Amino acid sequence: MATILRNITAIYRKELQSYFASPLAYVIAGVFWLLAGLFFVVILQTVVQQVSSLDLQGPQPVDVPYQIQQSFLSVMGSLALVILPILSMGLYAEERKRGTLELLATSPITNWAIALGKLLGVLTFFVTLVLPLLVYEAIAFSTASPPIQPWILLLGHGGLILLAAAVLSLGLFISSLTESSILAAVLTFALVLCLWIFDLIGQTVGGPIGAALNHLSLLKHYTNLLQGVVDTSSLILFTSYIFLGLFLTAQSIDTLRFQRS
Amino acid sequence: MIEVEHLSKVYGSTPAIEDLSFGVQPGEILGLLGPNGAGKTTTMRILAGYLPATSGTAHLAGYEVHTNPMAVRQRIGYLPETPPLYPDMTVEGFLHFVARLKGVSSGDRRRQVNSALERCNLQEKRQVLIRKLSKGFRQRVGIAQAIVHDPPAIILDEPTVGLDPRQIIEVRNLIKSLAGSHTVILSTHILPEVSATCSQVAIINQGRVVMTGPLENLMVQLTGGTGYDLEVSGNAAEVQQQLQGLPGVRLIEFSPPQPGQGAGSRDTQTPAADLDLGENHLKFRVVSEPEVDVGPQIAAALVGAGLGLHEMRRARASLEDVFLKLTTEENTLVEADHPANQSLSEQAEEAA
Repeated sequence: MATILRNITAIYRKELQSYFASPLAYVIAGVFWLLAGLFFVVILQTVVQQVSSLDLQGPQPVDVPYQIQQSFLSVMGSLALVILPILSMGLYAEERKRGTLELLATSPITNWAIALGKLLGVLTFFVTLVLPLLVYEAIAFSTASPPIQPWILLLGHGGLILLAAAVLSLGLFISSLTESSILAAVLTFALVLCLWIFDLIGQTVGGPIGAALNHLSLLKHYTNLLQGVVDTSSLILFTSYIFLGLFLTAQSIDTLRFQRS
Repeated sequence: MIEVEHLSKVYGSTPAIEDLSFGVQPGEILGLLGPNGAGKTTTMRILAGYLPATSGTAHLAGYEVHTNPMAVRQRIGYLPETPPLYPDMTVEGFLHFVARLKGVSSGDRRRQVNSALERCNLQEKRQVLIRKLSKGFRQRVGIAQAIVHDPPAIILDEPTVGLDPRQIIEVRNLIKSLAGSHTVILSTHILPEVSATCSQVAIINQGRVVMTGPLENLMVQLTGGTGYDLEVSGNAAEVQQQLQGLPGVRLIEFSPPQPGQGAGSRDTQTPAADLDLGENHLKFRVVSEPEVDVGPQIAAALVGAGLGLHEMRRARASLEDVFLKLTTEENTLVEADHPANQSLSEQAEEAA
């Protein structure tokens, strides 16, 4: 157990270090923060305008911080879906291209540990991307009266991170299928689009199919979490996606060795 | 230490290696020699636990490679064909990562990394990003990566490929210094490499072991005896007359009197002095029966006949000869590759 943990940490630390050395990581962070800031300001203004126009019609109680928080995080969710394929694309594809997979595969470490270490590494990077957003929110919500409930904030961001982990885990698997990072990014993005489309179909189509799609939709469960609805089925769904990704990755690396010619 | 028994690997329907068996004793260096595509890399990948074999077993330090992969992986250092390096890491950072991966305890890690850096002569480059290193240094980092956890068995796939001659010598010395405390298998298609570094050799061709054993035995066995290279002033007929009768002499091979390397000894440098051979200087090789040393008799016979003996040295069949003999099927091909060798009769006729 201790060795497995040490192996996972070794991979995890290596992944984190690689982000510090990679220009791509800085570019992604820059673009993400720029867009996030922009969206935040736009949402802030829109909501304030909406509220003032509502005020003209007569006094109605509106939970402004909640409105802002929800629109902002759902936009962040969409932005994350665009950025996550870029984060996950190189995780295995680069290792395959450089031949370092051979080093990992001949070290006393299981495929599971490698995949988990990598996932934790890239997830930590994503969390680093999200953290500064809390500062924006803290500034905006500090003026809120009554103050916003902290657990709603926590739940929303936790949901964002769970969504990211699920998508990254699938991206990890796709990255393990190819030697080309670009191909991995495109395929992961296509998968994300599919998730989106399934979500839309699930919303419009009724009946058992719609219900099934709704149950499996990552976005649906994400929105639930944003609204403060905690359902164990959401948590189970997210963890299932994460495990599915890890399992498929470990299997695909194993198969790679068997069919290599 | 390393036991390979009846190992086979089939890719789809094409066999890469078939029924491969050889063994390496602890502390030895085995050279896996073969032409390109002979199955060297496949063999090494199986030994390293990267590829599963189709059939057969490979034991490393008592553990079977396929059924006990983790135990084997802990005990090997492996340098694949292309060194597995992360370009964005520093040399030291990379070695620390590999040491951690291979399960070196945190207390020993710094010492182990330092000793690997020292052995591979990388101290000056420890803080340099691998991306910025030259090919030779990358190869050395690759070797450092394979020895950083001080494994009992080391597998090196073409460790000197792409290096300049000085680096090749350095890497060979490094590998030789590993013998004794480590068991090493290295693959190569470069013949002098094996004679320079290895104590044991396994020659494989088209996926099969053609010959295995200690280097010295192998050469004696294959050339069917030892011999002497001589340079004498006199004519061929006379030399032949003197030496043919000696017991133990099997064959006399004359080389044409042009400068260059003697037949079959391409890896030994010919001194420049040979360029101005006198008119009636002859260079030839006397091949004797196995296990018979005819040196003193040859010298006595030549001197006794009043022929000037200018040079005499024991001929070692080069590994190239052995290799070609084993990997080319018809013997005619071997001979075609040695146009310098002419039969005695032809030479005698020309002289007469």
